[in-house]
Amino acid sequence: MEICKLEHIHKDYRMGETVTPLKDICLSVGEGDFIAVEGPSGIGKSTLLYVMGTLLKADEGTYTFEGQDISAFSDAQKSEFRAKKIGFLFQDSTMIQALTLRENLIFTQSVGGKKNLKQVDELLYQFGLEDRADFFPHQLSGGQRRRAMAARALIHNPRLILADEPTNDLDEHWSGEIIRILKEQTGKGTAVVMVTHNSRWASAATRRLRLEEGILTDI
Amino acid sequence: MLMLIWNNISRRRTQSVLTVTITMLTVLVFVMVLGVFQTVNQGLALSRERLGADAILIPKYASAEGDDLLFTAIPENIYMPIEVVEEAKQLEGVAAMTPQFYCQTLALGCCDPGEEARIIGYDSATDFILRPYLDEGSRSGINEEQLIIGHNFEDDDLVGYNYMILGRIFKVVSMLQPTGTGMDSTIFMDWRTAQDMCLESEVLRQDWTDKDPHDYISVIMVKLAEDTDPQSFVKQVEQSGIEAKCLLTGDTISALQSQLEVTMQVMFALWLASLLIAVLSLVGRFNALAKERKKEIGLLRAIGLKKGQVFGLIIGETCTMALMGGFLGSGIALVCMNPVIEMLKDAFKLSPSVWTTSLAMLCGLAGVALAGVLGFASAVSPALKSASMDPQAAITQGEVN
Repeated sequence: MEICKLEHIHKDYRMGETVTPLKDICLSVGEGDFIAVEGPSGIGKSTLLYVMGTLLKADEGTYTFEGQDISAFSDAQKSEFRAKKIGFLFQDSTMIQALTLRENLIFTQSVGGKKNLKQVDELLYQFGLEDRADFFPHQLSGGQRRRAMAARALIHNPRLILADEPTNDLDEHWSGEIIRILKEQTGKGTAVVMVTHNSRWASAATRRLRLEEGILTDI
Repeated sequence: MLMLIWNNISRRRTQSVLTVTITMLTVLVFVMVLGVFQTVNQGLALSRERLGADAILIPKYASAEGDDLLFTAIPENIYMPIEVVEEAKQLEGVAAMTPQFYCQTLALGCCDPGEEARIIGYDSATDFILRPYLDEGSRSGINEEQLIIGHNFEDDDLVGYNYMILGRIFKVVSMLQPTGTGMDSTIFMDWRTAQDMCLESEVLRQDWTDKDPHDYISVIMVKLAEDTDPQSFVKQVEQSGIEAKCLLTGDTISALQSQLEVTMQVMFALWLASLLIAVLSLVGRFNALAKERKKEIGLLRAIGLKKGQVFGLIIGETCTMALMGGFLGSGIALVCMNPVIEMLKDAFKLSPSVWTTSLAMLCGLAGVALAGVLGFASAVSPALKSASMDPQAAITQGEVN
C-alpha cells in the first residue's frame, strides 16, 4: 500500500545564483519500504527529506500522503501532520536542551497526542540509554545523542521515518543496531527513507536510489 | 507545554535570574514611585478635603509657616492675647472659629511619649477641626484627665490606657481617624488643661514667669462663610488692627502640592528612563534567546508544534519570568515603602497616614501588571520572529548545540 508519492517535485534555492537541488523528483514510498538515497555531499539529499517532511515547500509538483495532497495543507495542518505521521532523524544532534533525555521523548510523544511511558522506557532500553534517561543533552556523548534522536524519531509510531545520515557519530556496533532497528520498523508497516554516504549501510535498504543533478535514479 | 516553559526557565538559571532581576528592579522603582505619588497626592487631597479650617489666625509677629502648622507636628510655641478671639468675632464672613493653645511634651522617660510631641489644647465647645475624626463618645468634649491622640500613635495601642505627660496622668479616650496632616502626630487635650500644664511643669513654667498662660491662645482656626472670598478676608484681618495675621490653608496646600508635583514629575521621568532601559535590555535578551535557540525552535516545529504554540512558548516563558520579577519587585517595594514614606514625611512635611493596605495592594497589583506588560511587550517581536521562522532554515542555519 502506498504511503506517499512525489510527482515532478522541483525546488530552487536562490542565493545570489539559483541552485536547483530537486529538478524533477518522482518517488512512490509504500508500506514497509526501506529506501536509501545516496549521492555526493551538497547535492540535495537533505532537501528531499525536508520536502517529504513538509519542513520545506516545493516550488512545483505534487506531494500526496495517504492519498491527501499535502502541498495544499495550511501551516497548522502540516504541523499536525508532522506530529502524527513523520519521524525525523536529523543530520545534526538537535534536542531540547532544557529537557532530560526521557523528557525529550515524553514531550515529543505528547505533541503527537500520545502518552505511553512504557514505550519511552522500552525505547531507552532498546537504544542502550536507560542509564542516561535523566541526563541532559549536553551531558551525553555525540553517539548517545544520535541514538537518543533515533529513539525520538520512533516515539510516536510514525508512518514515515526520514533519517538523515543516521549512523553519523556512531561506532560500528551502534550503526548496525540503528539500521537494524529502522529495518525492524518497516516490518510494522512504517516506511523509512534514509540518506547516507555509506554504501555498506545503504545496502541494508530494500531500494537504493541515487540523487544527481536534481533527479532520482535507481541504483 | 507548561512543563517545557517551566523547565526552560528553571534549567537556564543564569539567563532566567538576569531577566527576573531586570524586571524586578524596574517594578521595584515603579511601585515605589507610584506609592509615594499616591500617598502624597491622597495626603494632600485628604488635607484639603478634611482640614475644616479655611484660614488660620496666628500671632502677628510669629515666624511659623503655614505648612509647619498644618503638616508637621513640630511643637510651635506661639502665643497671642486671648482678646484676639473676641476681636476676631467682629470680622465679617466667618462661619465658625475655634481657638487652640499649643504646648509640648518633653523628651523624658517611661510611660510618656519619649520625645517632644506637640500638644494642642482645643476648645470642645467651639471645635470643628477634630470633630469629624472623633467617635461619637468623644464629640461632646473631654475633661481635664482625658486625652485624644492622633492616628500615628496607632501602633502604641493606647486607647483606654493611662498616659503620662509632664508628670500628669491622663486617660487616652479616643484616637483620631487619619487626617493626612500634622494632627496625626499630635496629642489633644482640653485647652484649659493645656494652659494649666504650662504652670504645673517646672520646665514649661520658665516661659511663663511674667504672664499667665490662661490669658493667651496660640492660633484661631477659622471656617469662612461660603460667599467669603479668602483673599478679601486676609485683607480684612490686616486692616482690622488685631494682633494676628491670617494664613490661608488652601494656599499652603496648593503651594506644597505644586512643589510635590514638580518633584514627582522628575521622579516619573527618571522612572520612564529606567523603564526604557529595562525594555531595551529585555528586548535584547529575548532576541538573543530566540537566536540562541533557533535550532531548537526549528526542532519544535519539526516535531509538530504549531506557530501559535511556539509563540505561546516564548511568550509564556518571558511573561512567567517577568511576573516573577513583578511579584518580587512589588513585594520588596511594599516592604520598603514605610521607611521611605517616613523619610519623605520629614522632607515634605507630610503625614504618612494615607499609606493604607488597600493602597499598598493597588500599587503592588499595578507593579505586577506592569511586569506582565513589560514581559509581553519585550518578547512579542522575538516571539513572532521565532514562530514564523522557516523550520528547515532554523534547523540548518541554527547554531550547533
